[in-house]
Amino acid sequence: MAYAPKPLLPGDAFEAALRFGLALEQDLAHRQDPPDRAACLARHWRDLLELGWAGTLLPEAAGGAGGAIADLVALADGAGRSAMPLPVAAACGVVPMLLRAVPDAAMQAAVATGRMRPCPVLEPGAVTARMEGEGWLLEGSLLGLELVPEPTHYLLACPIAAAEPGLFLLPADAPGLAVTRHLRIDGRLSADLALHSPARLLARGAAVREAVAAARDLGAFLTCVEAVSAMGALIEQTIAYLSARVQFGTALASFQALRHRVAEMHVAAENTRGLVAQLLRAAGTAPALPWREVSFAKLRLGEAGRFVAEAAIQMHGGMGVTEALPASRLARRIMLAEFEYGDRNWHAARLLEAA
Amino acid sequence: MDDAADLESFRRTLREFALSHCPPEIRAVVAANRKLGRKEWSAWQRILHARGWGAPSWPKAHGGTGWDLRHRHAFDEVMAECDCPPQYHHGLRHIGPVLIEFGTPEQQAHFLPGILNGEDWWCQGYSEPGAGSDLASLKTRAERDGEEYVVTGQKLWTSHAHESDWMYTLVRTSSAGKRQEGITMLLIPLRSPGITVRPVPTIDGWHHVNEVFLDGVRVPAANRIGEEGKGWTYGKFLLDRERLGGANVAPAFRFLDRARALVAAELQGPQNRLKREMLAMRLLQIEAELRGARELGLAAIDDVMNGRPLGIAPSVLKLSTSEAMQRTSQVALDAVGHRLATRFRPVDASGPNAEVGEIEWLQNYLYLRAKTIFGGSSEVQKNVIARQLFGT
Repeated sequence: MAYAPKPLLPGDAFEAALRFGLALEQDLAHRQDPPDRAACLARHWRDLLELGWAGTLLPEAAGGAGGAIADLVALADGAGRSAMPLPVAAACGVVPMLLRAVPDAAMQAAVATGRMRPCPVLEPGAVTARMEGEGWLLEGSLLGLELVPEPTHYLLACPIAAAEPGLFLLPADAPGLAVTRHLRIDGRLSADLALHSPARLLARGAAVREAVAAARDLGAFLTCVEAVSAMGALIEQTIAYLSARVQFGTALASFQALRHRVAEMHVAAENTRGLVAQLLRAAGTAPALPWREVSFAKLRLGEAGRFVAEAAIQMHGGMGVTEALPASRLARRIMLAEFEYGDRNWHAARLLEAA
Repeated sequence: MDDAADLESFRRTLREFALSHCPPEIRAVVAANRKLGRKEWSAWQRILHARGWGAPSWPKAHGGTGWDLRHRHAFDEVMAECDCPPQYHHGLRHIGPVLIEFGTPEQQAHFLPGILNGEDWWCQGYSEPGAGSDLASLKTRAERDGEEYVVTGQKLWTSHAHESDWMYTLVRTSSAGKRQEGITMLLIPLRSPGITVRPVPTIDGWHHVNEVFLDGVRVPAANRIGEEGKGWTYGKFLLDRERLGGANVAPAFRFLDRARALVAAELQGPQNRLKREMLAMRLLQIEAELRGARELGLAAIDDVMNGRPLGIAPSVLKLSTSEAMQRTSQVALDAVGHRLATRFRPVDASGPNAEVGEIEWLQNYLYLRAKTIFGGSSEVQKNVIARQLFGT
């Protein structure tokens, strides 16, 4: 029996997310035009919000599901199998973590139902905040922000003094805000922001610092979950391709050089999966994710993920460099995962500085 | 008490004993990554035996501890964390379990006590010049002559033969049928007439391996394990029991700690900052991989304890940990290699620098090349993994 990747947490949530991702993949398959693709992503995103994904981690009192991190992991794992190009980690994980700094039940309820769709910003880029009159003004620009489709707001962390972080709420239709959208290499939406806009300061100080750190660690963890899931799918598809493709009168799967490379991909993926499994256990017992383990996982993902992605492209030969091949989309998703919530060097630096 | 608390208090007991009873001079050998020999191992085995922990993997009826896999794993881990030597494996983990499973009561009574108390030393006579990864092609012949076998042939890569009393040996008793079917396992005293042990010098400068020549060596038939022609089965049983050895990554973590300390000590000061940080970064990458491997090892133990098949997890683990240890030794080499690789073998026996300190780092680097060769080479492990993944 040939290889099939195992879910981290088998069950209904995983299966539902898997089906959701495959349906989106089909819908996107015949759309080449970027605006058309963006509109398609927005439609599916609305469906996903209808299903209540954004409220997974939010308390039941606020209309959320009151779920645990494991519930979100099952969704991210299912979505990862098809490299689903929607911001599950950002909207369903990072936003609720940031809202911990904001004691506002009405806002949580609006997020849980999808009426409010904040796009989180953990790194303010070249944006600065200053007081103007009674209120705050955000100025500057920000490149390549992962964009939540049809955001109503930006939930933006930005220093308000030398060592004091602030958390701002910026309406998507704020005056002085210009948004330029792109598609990333993994097919998700991103945005460049240029702003000179008034914004509301929701929270400041230690509460924001803690919320941002927890949000980044959860984002990094969920990114690892998605990427490990995508690696499993990628290995499965690579094996299927090598088994079907005949050259020199024999299946490519019979060549030892290729078989060994697949074995190396599996070892790399399993190893990363081990780090993710360890974090999943910690998420079930500790109040916060252990940051060291998060950093080691992301560091490992940086190396192992790129190795698996590049090997898969290589072994698909010419097909591997085609835009439409599902395996190449999985590969590009894994490549991009490196740059979400701190790349491997950022995490290595964090570990070295603490040593 | 729940499982986790029980295991934690078990670990505390182990740690206290290890730190108070393992002689400092033995722990110093481990801490300096120097080569362990029979002297250190047997002294430590005597101490463990006196405590009742001589054989963590054996059933109580044969003098073992009767511990389950999780407790055995904790034992191995804590001992490594305390710089105690890993127990010498040829007796305890290899031939011991084979004797317990397939040996006659007489064989068990004769051989097991010496393994337990560390008085008898064993080595493994498997590989030959023409039989490495392809072990079934072994040619050393054993011919029946009355109540004895007469054994003639050559074994190679025989670790510890120069300090052993006994060699459990795979020999060919028949050339008919499948290659695996003509193999028999014999227990051969190394003091027998007709045996010559010659060291094989290796690149690390340590003496591990030997060639063992057998020229008409007479071995009592009573020293045969089980049936004639079934040796492959017993050999395979032995290897299967060892498949989870890779789950213990504690020694690899200790090795990493030592390499980290070496880098910090060797590359002090602002003038060394860049090199120090580059090496520190590589150690971090290795640590990430080892952490992943440790988790996979725990999962594999859990699988075995719950009766689930192990599959290819041991191969995955062996690849990760063996290469991680090699990479660790590379970092150490990059820290100190320039002053060690240039001064490997002394020509002048005296002089201000006749003693080269820390030469073990170089020896370990060279020694660890073998880690991806023995116990199933990396290439063989990848064949195993690929066969499972491709289903063919």
